[in-house]
Amino acid sequence: MNRIRNARRSFLKILAGLFLLPARKACAGGIFQSPVATNRLRPPGAVSEEIFTGKCIRCGRCIEVCPYRSIIQLDARVGIHAGTPLIRAEDVPCYLCMKCVEVCPTGTLRRIRQEDTRMGLAVVDRHRCITWREEALCRTCYNVCPFKEKAIRLDELRPVIDEKYCTGCGLCTHGCPISTEDGRKAVNIEPLYSGLRR
Amino acid sequence: MSLTRREFIKKSAALTAASYVGLNLPLGETERARGEETEKWVRGTCRLCGVGCRLDLGVKNGKAVALRGVADSRTNLGYVCMKGMLFYKLIGHPDRLTKPLYRTKKDQPFKEISWDQALDIAAREFAKAVKEHGNDSVAYYGSGQAQTEETYLFQKIFRAGLQTNNVEGNPRLCMASAVGGYVTSFGADEPIGSYSNIEKTNCFFIIGSNMAEAHPVIFRRVMRRKLDHPKDVTVINVDPRVSPTSRIADIHLQFKPGTDLALMNAMANVIIEEKLFDEKFVSDYCVFKKQEEKEAKTVDFEAYKEFISEYTPEKAAAICGGNITPDIIRQVSRTFAQSKGTVSMWCMGLNQRIRGVWANNLVNNLHLLTGQICRPGADSLSLTGQPNACGGVREGGGLCHILPGHRPVENDKARNQVEELWGVPAGRIPPKPGLHTMALFSAVNEGKIKAIWINCTSPAQSLPNVDFYRKGMRRDDVFLVCTDVFPTKTTELANLVLPTAFHFEKTGVYGCTERRSQLTPKAVDPPGEAKPEVWIAREWTLRLARELKDPVIEKCIEPFKGLEEGWALPKAVWDEYTQKLTKGRDNDLRGATYEVMKGMADGVQWPAPTEDFARKGGTEIKFVRGIDPMADSEAKDDKPFQFYGPAHADRKLYVWLRPHAGAAEEPDAEYPFVLSTGRIIDHWHTSSMTGRIPELMRANPYAFIEVNPKDAARLGIKPGDMVEVESHRGKNVLPAKVYEGPIEGMVFVYWHDMDEDRMINKVCKDAFDPISKEPEFKISAARIRRVSGSVPLKPYIVSL
Repeated sequence: MNRIRNARRSFLKILAGLFLLPARKACAGGIFQSPVATNRLRPPGAVSEEIFTGKCIRCGRCIEVCPYRSIIQLDARVGIHAGTPLIRAEDVPCYLCMKCVEVCPTGTLRRIRQEDTRMGLAVVDRHRCITWREEALCRTCYNVCPFKEKAIRLDELRPVIDEKYCTGCGLCTHGCPISTEDGRKAVNIEPLYSGLRR
Repeated sequence: MSLTRREFIKKSAALTAASYVGLNLPLGETERARGEETEKWVRGTCRLCGVGCRLDLGVKNGKAVALRGVADSRTNLGYVCMKGMLFYKLIGHPDRLTKPLYRTKKDQPFKEISWDQALDIAAREFAKAVKEHGNDSVAYYGSGQAQTEETYLFQKIFRAGLQTNNVEGNPRLCMASAVGGYVTSFGADEPIGSYSNIEKTNCFFIIGSNMAEAHPVIFRRVMRRKLDHPKDVTVINVDPRVSPTSRIADIHLQFKPGTDLALMNAMANVIIEEKLFDEKFVSDYCVFKKQEEKEAKTVDFEAYKEFISEYTPEKAAAICGGNITPDIIRQVSRTFAQSKGTVSMWCMGLNQRIRGVWANNLVNNLHLLTGQICRPGADSLSLTGQPNACGGVREGGGLCHILPGHRPVENDKARNQVEELWGVPAGRIPPKPGLHTMALFSAVNEGKIKAIWINCTSPAQSLPNVDFYRKGMRRDDVFLVCTDVFPTKTTELANLVLPTAFHFEKTGVYGCTERRSQLTPKAVDPPGEAKPEVWIAREWTLRLARELKDPVIEKCIEPFKGLEEGWALPKAVWDEYTQKLTKGRDNDLRGATYEVMKGMADGVQWPAPTEDFARKGGTEIKFVRGIDPMADSEAKDDKPFQFYGPAHADRKLYVWLRPHAGAAEEPDAEYPFVLSTGRIIDHWHTSSMTGRIPELMRANPYAFIEVNPKDAARLGIKPGDMVEVESHRGKNVLPAKVYEGPIEGMVFVYWHDMDEDRMINKVCKDAFDPISKEPEFKISAARIRRVSGSVPLKPYIVSL
């Protein structure tokens, strides 16, 4: 237990130390700007982004419990949001196992059902998608979708998203074989339901 | 908890530190192929499935950087699938084998050796086996992915040099039943028509094929035809599983696995009962055949009628179960018979069966009875899984019972002709066919095979009941040579691993599903010391001749000595094969020279006896006078169709009386499920190639088991749960995908995964068709149970 406490202390020290350092380019948007953006998502059941950072106590339980290591803990580069959980959909998407919502002690992640999760909405970029461009046949996003035929269906072999069912889990983004210069994919998750004001 | 608190804190601290010093964690590179960056485009064929898509490989600074489809090609019309778009990444892949590797015992680590040492060892071991245990103690096991030149050269060396017909290939596992079906029905192997029928047909009969995943580019053509003419084109899909192919079907027939023979006989019943058959075609060209104990007996139409009367739609519906009703059988039969043109397409669902040849015959029967053949928009088209199963193995003599040019080994005349063309003494090729794949690996198990050369395939993963056969391959008294580009489950069991040049690193020909031979020239150099197989075979044979002191062995490679391996050597092999061995045969390829093929967007469909004819693309429909030059040159009467196929001396088409028969292993109380295996769009075969392409591996990192929701509810299986599937032979543990795919009582697993826990061939049954010797991968009895909730899994690929 002592060891853990020591480790915790050293970790907090690093974190605090980083806070004091001048913010680097990652923090260019200011220390208050939310890290939530395209393919940068809060875990399932998250409360509105307006109050998320105030409500989350950075206990890290959602991060620990995630069997897929989908959730990362943000560091000092994101200003006041340091320590809060985030999912980077193209790296490791959310597999909707719903373990994180069970362990959140503050209700920042509300206990919702798998199919009610709305981390965002998948949007197919028809100018980038290789199938929509008619260059090749791919339907990885369709194959990996946990709500196949509901959230994604194929229209003449081209993927089409239905917002009624899409949970924004990011499995399609992760699977998508097309990456572009800006680090995006041909299907991206837009955090439309995050309550984020731009 | 998957991460201890301590571990977690450590990791986050490290991450924080890393981000502070400004390290960027990789986000995935930009993968879009950019045309303007390449220096030149080299035209060739796709390395993967049997469709034969034509591609341009982009080369920059001697490296492969991109691929794009060739719009003028008659196979793919410019389209490619994701696998085809990305395989250029394998050309300079860091996992490639680049040096010969050797070990005396199979539990030792490999040592890098030189080519001289490697070839000496291979020659010594094969010579030793021949001297001590006879000619039939050595074998070659090749591949439908080896180029025609390679298969042809290896089989020549083994048959005429080492005097054994132990020459086999993995096409035995995928299309041997289609060969059996074509030869027994039409007297000649391979489809009569072409892909171009797709754009002319009014009815697709897709049975036992998930072409949407296995042949996506052909599926696109089918879909296009349907969508452009939604009212005039009917798509019938027959499959116990609702697959992505079923989505475009107007009618999907879902039946209990293993009952399709009854279904097709019932369709024939309706066609006869309702007088939907083409009386003139049948009387002009067909005879009815019944298999007696020893030989096939000709029977009359009345006998066929009587035989088929037993298979009423009512009876078949009762046998088939699922959604099959007598009315739907009648409806499908009428559509099949009455459409302006019907194209049947099938693949492993019919071939990988204990009665695969019969199933093929029954599809062909439907076409013969209704005359849906030899005209635009009508064909009985067997799809092929490998890029050169047709061209190299079926035509080039890559199976134990056939010599190049569709010549049976047992036929003295054909054999002597080949000996004469090769300039080897008469009687040099043994008259007895060699061991077929399953018998070969059984012989390996028994220690009867002392040295085996495995080229470009991985039987240690692809054989059914694979654990049983791996025991033999693991024996220390079986010397195993593997020629391959990547480490595989089979190189793990090898004594000698020889690195080979990959596609576009050597020159050679692939022959695709529609009898089309297409050239892929060398575009880049192979990595390290990797060499083309034709070079390896030639150099090894020189040493073998010295070891065995046999000038005839050297004679086999006499015409190829000293030739440069990038172009001149494969060209000489191709010229010998086409100009000498296919001359006058039904796969006459004399017109398809390298020079002709080099200038084409696609390639040449045989028969193509002259260069002028080959330049136009060759024969679109076989046996039709005015289209097929051999139908004119071989004509015996003035009928428009001339069935000159080498297997039927009477020049007739055979309608076979084939009764219904079930699977080798039906479900029982202990193993109540039917396990079926298949393919997925992102991967190909043993995934030794596709598994090394990050995009494809990310899209589909591991195998899963598809369970019907009703079965899942009964067994308490939820999506993502780990499920154990077990048969008499072995078991797998895989994550579950619960959806309305497989029919109730059936589970489905795709077979590409290399991981020992997810390698479904450990579970599959190794019973095989008595005619084609093709194993029944598609049906095994199994039981399933939930093991645990979801567990994060890692993709797995063999490394050295």
